[in-house]
Amino acid sequence: MAAISFKRSSLEDFNKYNSLLVGNEFTPPPADSSYDLLETTTLTSSTSSVTFSGLGSYTDYKHLQIRMVTRSTDSTGDDGVVAQINSDTGSNYAYHGLFGTGSIIGSYAVTSASNPLLFTTANANNATDSFGVGVVDLLDFSSTSKNTTARNLGGSTETNPSIRLTSFVHLNTSAVTSVTLLLQSGTNFVAGSRFSLYGIK
Amino acid sequence: MATPTYDLLDSTTLASSASSVTFTSIDQSYGDLVVVIDSKGTSTTAIYSYYNSDFTNANYSYVNMTTLGASPSSNTASNPFVGFEGSSLGQSLSLLHIMDYSATDKHKSYLCRNNLPDLLTQAIAGRWSNSSAVSSVTLQLSSGNLVSGSTFYLYGIAK
Repeated sequence: MAAISFKRSSLEDFNKYNSLLVGNEFTPPPADSSYDLLETTTLTSSTSSVTFSGLGSYTDYKHLQIRMVTRSTDSTGDDGVVAQINSDTGSNYAYHGLFGTGSIIGSYAVTSASNPLLFTTANANNATDSFGVGVVDLLDFSSTSKNTTARNLGGSTETNPSIRLTSFVHLNTSAVTSVTLLLQSGTNFVAGSRFSLYGIK
Repeated sequence: MATPTYDLLDSTTLASSASSVTFTSIDQSYGDLVVVIDSKGTSTTAIYSYYNSDFTNANYSYVNMTTLGASPSSNTASNPFVGFEGSSLGQSLSLLHIMDYSATDKHKSYLCRNNLPDLLTQAIAGRWSNSSAVSSVTLQLSSGNLVSGSTFYLYGIAK
């Protein structure tokens, strides 16, 4: 068998793409894009959930990222943005979080969960134009040999401020074909909330 | 249809110390901005990020969580804090996400991750209490000058 020289091998033109994931150290993206906008939903009226479906058509990509700007109609206290994979509403998730509220820094772990918490968002207790924000990385989403994992950085300021670094696992090895985002309170996202889906090669 | 994005819009490397770095006339066709700060220095002075030349600290607020040695903490304050300049042992890295910056129906919220590897790791959620589209971003220290060799990159992410 003929030897392949290093000059012709992939060692010569490797790229680091992991920096496009939130929370990692930074490396500028390559000129030929490996980070693409796939879909965006901006709500024109209050809505209880947003679903990105048909993700099976994005298997050209290795990872997904969802960038969110959200506000809840809830007024009873804090409200959180939660996720469901493949419409699974069972207690098939586990999640961890590290959070700061300004006066408290803490962590939590939840098993047998049905709605993994991503971050706490702004709600009707906050100024009218105040929104929470979150960036979720859904890793190796089309794999069928491992449970699906995701991580998030998100938060909001004002009445109940918080910043959260979280991760969750869906205890299922199926490829991810849909992601649903909804509110812990069961209320609605307000008009103007924005959800954008990106693919990372 | 997929849209390639995460585009470099502007960058600056300081050849000498400067009081501030400002990205002006920012393209309004993107959804989010990402600002990457690699700050040299020795004093770990706070870096502030002002929008549209609004230099009134009271118009900004943030909540953070910080691991400083073995002592984690969380604070809130009214100023546009997004990181620190470097320490005597190394530079500071900040990755700032300004979300929905071109929208005019919401205050501008941001997320930030800071690493000052010899001292701390930090995450921040912040907000500028103004619904105007962000057309300029000014980065400066809370006191003193940004140090020569510091780099600042601005990227746009389509929505």
